[in-house]
Amino acid sequence: MQLTFILNGNETQIDTREERRVVDLLREDLGLTGTKEGCGTGECGACTILVDGESRLSCLMVAAQLEGTRVTTVEGLEETRKGTLLRRAFAEEGAVQCGFCIPGMEMAAMALLRHDPEPTRERIRAGLSGNLCRCTGYVKIVDAVERAAEDLRCCREGR
Amino acid sequence: MRAVLKPACLEELFSLLERHPEALAMAGGTDLLVRLRSEPAADERPLLLLANVAELQGISDMGNEISIGAATTLTRLIADPLAGLHAPLLISAARTIGGPAVRNMATIGGNVSTASPAGDSLPPLYLLGAEIELASMQGKRRLPIGDFVAGPGRTQLHKREIITRILLPHAEDFPCRTFEKVGLRRSLAVAVTSFAGMIRLSGGIVEEARFAWGSVGPTVVRLPGLEAELVGARLDLGAVRKAAEIVRREVSPIDDIRATADYRRSVAANLLVRFLEGIHG
Amino acid sequence: MADIRPLEIGRPEIRGDAMAKAAGRELFSADLYPADLVWAGAVRAGVPHGRLLSIDATAALAVPGVLKVLTAVDVPGPNRHGIIHKDMPVLADNVILYTGDAIALILAETREALKLAIPLVWAEIEPLPALFDPEAALAEGAPRLHPDKENNLLMAAEIRKGEASAAFTECDAVVEGEFATPVQAHIFLETENGTARLEEDGCIAMTVSTQSPFRDRFEIGYALGITFERIRIASPSLGGGFGGKDGATVQCLLALAALHSGGRPVRMQWDREENLASGYRRHGCKLKYRLGAKQDGTLHALECELVYDTGAYAHLGGEVMELGMEHAGGPYRIPHALIRGKCVFTNNPVAGAMRAFGVCQATFAFESMMDLLAKKLAMDPLDLRLANALIDGDTNCAGVRLVTSTGVVGCLEIVRDHPFWREREEWKQKAPLNTRRGVGLASVFNAAGYGGKVRDSAIAKVELSADGEIVVHNAVSDMGQGNSAAFLQMAGHILGQDASLMKLRQPDTVTAYPSGSSSAGRTTYTFGNALIKACEELKARLINRAGLLLFIDNDADLRLVPGKVIHPPTGREVPLKRLAGFMPHEDRVCISQFVAPVCADVPDTASGFFIGFPHVIFAYGAHLVRIEVDLLTGAIRVPDYLAATDGGRIVNPAMFDQQVHGAVAQGLGYALMEDLVTREGRVLSEDLSTYLIPGVLDVPDIVSIPYHGHEETGPFGMKGIGEVALNGPLPAVANAVADACGIRLCHAPLTPVRVLAALEGKSCN
Repeated sequence: MQLTFILNGNETQIDTREERRVVDLLREDLGLTGTKEGCGTGECGACTILVDGESRLSCLMVAAQLEGTRVTTVEGLEETRKGTLLRRAFAEEGAVQCGFCIPGMEMAAMALLRHDPEPTRERIRAGLSGNLCRCTGYVKIVDAVERAAEDLRCCREGR
Repeated sequence: MRAVLKPACLEELFSLLERHPEALAMAGGTDLLVRLRSEPAADERPLLLLANVAELQGISDMGNEISIGAATTLTRLIADPLAGLHAPLLISAARTIGGPAVRNMATIGGNVSTASPAGDSLPPLYLLGAEIELASMQGKRRLPIGDFVAGPGRTQLHKREIITRILLPHAEDFPCRTFEKVGLRRSLAVAVTSFAGMIRLSGGIVEEARFAWGSVGPTVVRLPGLEAELVGARLDLGAVRKAAEIVRREVSPIDDIRATADYRRSVAANLLVRFLEGIHG
Repeated sequence: MADIRPLEIGRPEIRGDAMAKAAGRELFSADLYPADLVWAGAVRAGVPHGRLLSIDATAALAVPGVLKVLTAVDVPGPNRHGIIHKDMPVLADNVILYTGDAIALILAETREALKLAIPLVWAEIEPLPALFDPEAALAEGAPRLHPDKENNLLMAAEIRKGEASAAFTECDAVVEGEFATPVQAHIFLETENGTARLEEDGCIAMTVSTQSPFRDRFEIGYALGITFERIRIASPSLGGGFGGKDGATVQCLLALAALHSGGRPVRMQWDREENLASGYRRHGCKLKYRLGAKQDGTLHALECELVYDTGAYAHLGGEVMELGMEHAGGPYRIPHALIRGKCVFTNNPVAGAMRAFGVCQATFAFESMMDLLAKKLAMDPLDLRLANALIDGDTNCAGVRLVTSTGVVGCLEIVRDHPFWREREEWKQKAPLNTRRGVGLASVFNAAGYGGKVRDSAIAKVELSADGEIVVHNAVSDMGQGNSAAFLQMAGHILGQDASLMKLRQPDTVTAYPSGSSSAGRTTYTFGNALIKACEELKARLINRAGLLLFIDNDADLRLVPGKVIHPPTGREVPLKRLAGFMPHEDRVCISQFVAPVCADVPDTASGFFIGFPHVIFAYGAHLVRIEVDLLTGAIRVPDYLAATDGGRIVNPAMFDQQVHGAVAQGLGYALMEDLVTREGRVLSEDLSTYLIPGVLDVPDIVSIPYHGHEETGPFGMKGIGEVALNGPLPAVANAVADACGIRLCHAPLTPVRVLAALEGKSCN
C-alpha cells in the first residue's frame, strides 16, 4: 500500500506492506532507529511513539493504522523547544544510563506533560508506569520529568 | 502475508465480514497482536481494523441506558463524564489495565471479547448488569454479559459478528463500592485476583450486595447465594467471617505460573473482608 | 556565553553519552541494518536432553526467501565454544543438553521468511532421561551429562579456615537456616544481536552487543577453527548487559553465517522470547547455613554448603561459585569457617554471569542468618553487624587479609545515624489498617576484578586527533554503567579539557587494545588506571611539543587549558588543533597499560577452585529497607530504601548514585518478583508479562549515601561499585518481613503468594 502520513512534522509517503509493524517501518524502512523494541508484546514501552498527540506502542501497530495520522518519534523532539528542553532535562538529571529505554520514556513524558503540565512525583510515576527501565531504578528519570515540567513551565511563562 | 481491512463505516465492516468470515477484528490490537505472535507464521487471516468505524466509538445516554461503543478506548472511557456518573467501578477497573499507552489503544470491547479470566473490566461489568450487543449483516442481538462469556477466552460471538456496544443500565444507588486488583507488581500487572463490590445499607442493615471476582474461576465468579444471605444482615465480625468462609468454599481458582489456587482462594476472601470491614453504617 | 570549564574528577559532570542517547541518536548494535542484509535465525532443540539423530531441512528450504539451512556438518573447526570450558556446540552435532541448544541456522532474505522456516526444520531427537535439579543430578545412578564430569559436578570446592566443626562447641548461640534463591534473567532491553560480514581480505568483521569484544574473537576462533586475528569486532554502546552478554551469544552463529553468505552482511536479532528461553541467566542456588557466636555477639564459627545449578554448560559456573564462597561469611570477622560448594550440571538452560555474580545468593543466606542470630542473642541487629564488621587489616572469612580499603563500618554508621533507623519504632507504629510495617538491614560486599590466577589488565590508548580533539579509545564495553563517560572525565581532568573537545570511540578490536571484559566491576578501575598513565604521558608530550613550537626554554610554566596550551609568563599559546598539525600521527597517540593487583599472600584455605581465588578489592555497603506488608494479599510495598556505599573516592557523584539506584532496583526485583520458571527444562516465563521486573511504581526514591573512602590502588582513589548494591534488597526485605510479621522467609523471591502462605502458617515456603 501507499502510506501517507505526517512524520515529525514532515509529509511522508512510503510504499509498504499494510501489516508491517510500525516499529519495523520506523526503524528499518525509514531509518529512524531512535524508537526501540524491547519486548514486542507491549510490556516494556521502549517502542512508544506519539500518534495524533497520544502515546502508542509501535510494536503493536500495523502500518495501515498510520494513514492520515500525525506521528512523532524521539527524533521529532529536536524540532520543538519543548522537545529540546525535555531531552536536556533527561541528559542533565542523570536519567540516562544505557539509554535504550529513554526514547520511550521521553515520549511517555511528553504525553504526560501535555495532559498534566504540573504533575506531582506520584503522577509522573503513573505517567511512566507503562515504561520499563533496567538500569536506572527510575529515580533520576522521575527527577528528569519533574525538571522538564519546571523548564517547560518557565518556557511557557517566557522565562 | 496478512491483509489489513479498513472499513470506514459499520455497513462496510459487515460486508467485509461476510466476505472474510475468518478475519480477525482488531481494535487496539493489544491482546490480538500479542496472541498472534505465537500463532504459526503462515497464518494469513486478515486483520479487520475497527478504530475508524465511528458507530463503534463513544459513549451516550440512550435515555434508559448508557451505550458504550465497543471500540471506545480505555483512556476515553476513563475521561468520560457519563461513564463517571453511571459506571465509576468500570472506570476504576479500566485505570488498572496496562499503562497509559496501552490504555490509549486498548478498548472496552476488546477486553470483553478477549474474555480472559483475569480481564479487569469484567467483574464491574457483571455487577453493573451489562449487556453486550452483537451485530452482523444479519442484524443485532443482545446478551447479558454472563451469558456472553462462555469460558476462559471463549465467548458467544459468532463468525461474521462483532461486538458493537456495551449497554449499562443507569446508575443504581450503591454508595459503597470498590474495585481491587491484586497483581505481582504495582505497575503493568495481570490480575492474580480481582474483586468488585457494591453494597447499599440502610440503618446499618444490608439492602443489596453485589460481588464479582476475577481470576478465581474460568469466568467471573458471582455468588448469588452469599449476596442473598447478606440481605437483611448487619455487617458485624461474625457476618464478615462467615461471608469469607463462603467465598473460600465457592471459588474455583487454579494454579498457574503467576499464583497458586490456595493464594487466589485466600485473597478472594480477604478482598471481600477488606471491602466489608471498610464500610461504616 | 557558556563558561568553559575543564572536566574535573569529583564533579557530577553530565555523562558524555547522555545527549546522544536522549536524542535517540546513539547507535546501538541493534540499530544497524546494512544494505543487502541476510537474516540469520537459530532453530533450537526444544528438548532438554536427547541424541540428535537427523535433521531434515527440505520444507524449510522450500520457503521463499530462505537461502540456506546450516547444520553441524557446516561448522568448521571443533564446533565447541565457551569462555573457559569449550563445551557448547555452535550447532548441536550429537547430544542435546538443553532446550535452547541450537541445531540449525537458517539464512534468509527477510525475518518473515525466518519465522516461516524455523518451525519447518524437522529434527529426529531420541529423548534421554533428563535432570532438572542438582539433587537429582548428584544422586547415585544419575545419567552423566558431560562424559568427563563425574556426578555432574562442574566443580566441588572448599574454603576451610580454622576448625569450624570444633568451634561450634565453643559458641553460646548457634542458628541454622536453609535458603533458596531463584533464577534471575538479565532483561537488558536491547536483546542479543549483531551483524557480521566476510570481507574481501577473508576477515570477518562484526558489530555485536557484547561485553567482551576482544575475548569473543578467541571464543569464535576456537569454535570455528579460525585464527583470532581474522576476526574484527566492534562493540557500540550496549542497551544493557549485566553479565548476560559476557560470553558468546550470537557471535559464533553470526560468524558461521558470515562464512556462508557470499560476502553479504548477516544480522541476527533475538526477540524477547528467544532471550528468555535460550539466553544466559543467573544461577539458582540452595544454601544451608550454620552460624555460631559468643554471648556478646562475636561471631565464632560458620559452616555452610552452597549448591549452584549451572544448567547444561559450564559458562562461568565455577567462577560464580568461587566468588559466592569467598563472600559466604559476609563482611565480618569469623575465625572459623568451613564453606563448601558444589556447582552442578543439569538439563536446565545455561546459567552464566550476572551482576552480583554468585554473591547475591550467599548474601541472602548470610544476612538472614545475622538477623536470626541477633534475635537469639536478644541483640540489636545493627549492633551485631557493627561488632563484627571487617576493618582494614582484618582477615575475611576466606582467610584473606584485607590490605585494601574496607569501608563497611562507615556504611553501617551512616545507616545507624539515619532517621530511617533512628525513628523506626515510631514509623512502624503508624502502619495502616491490615498492614504491618518493618525495617530490615543488610551489610553487603562484592569483590571487583577477576581475582587470583587470571590476568586482569587493560591497555588504554588516547590520542590528539588531527582536528585538535582528545580521543579516548575505550576498550571495555559500555553497557550503560558509564565507564566511557568516566574515562572522558578522567582524561579531561588530566588534560585540562572541557567536554566539547573530548571524544570517545567505543571498543573496536582493530583500533583499541585488549583490556578484558566489561564485567566484575573492573572496567573503570582497571582501564581507568591504564588511561591515567596514557593521559599523563600525552599531557607531558603535548606540553613538550608546545614548548618546542613556542620556543620556550623551560616547559615548567606551560599549561593545558580548554582548547590550547598556554604559557602565562610570556602570553604565548598554541591551539590544540595547530599543535596537532605539527605532530606526526604516531606522536599524537599514547598507549599505556595496567595490571590489577593480586593477592600477595594467598592463604592456604581453598581447594577445588580453578581460577578466581582470592580477590583483593571489595566494594562495601550497608542497606536499610522500610516495607509495608499487606496482611490480606501478602503484597510487600517498599516506600523507602537507603543504601550507603563504599566505592573509595567518587569520580562522578551522579554516576555513583546511578549505579546504586540501578543495582538496588534489580535487587528489589530479585527480592520480590523475579523468577525465571522452568519446568522439565522448558522456560515457562515466556515474555515480559510472566517474567516481571520492577516498574516505576515498584521502586521507591532510593536514598544513596556515599561513604567517603579512598582506595590507594584505584584511579583517583576509586573502586568499582557496579555490583555491590544488588546484594542488599533480598536479605534486607526478608529481615524487614521478619521484623514486621514475625515470619522468616527463606525461599526467594518473596512473592505475595509466599508471604501470604507464611502468614497463614501454611508452610515456611
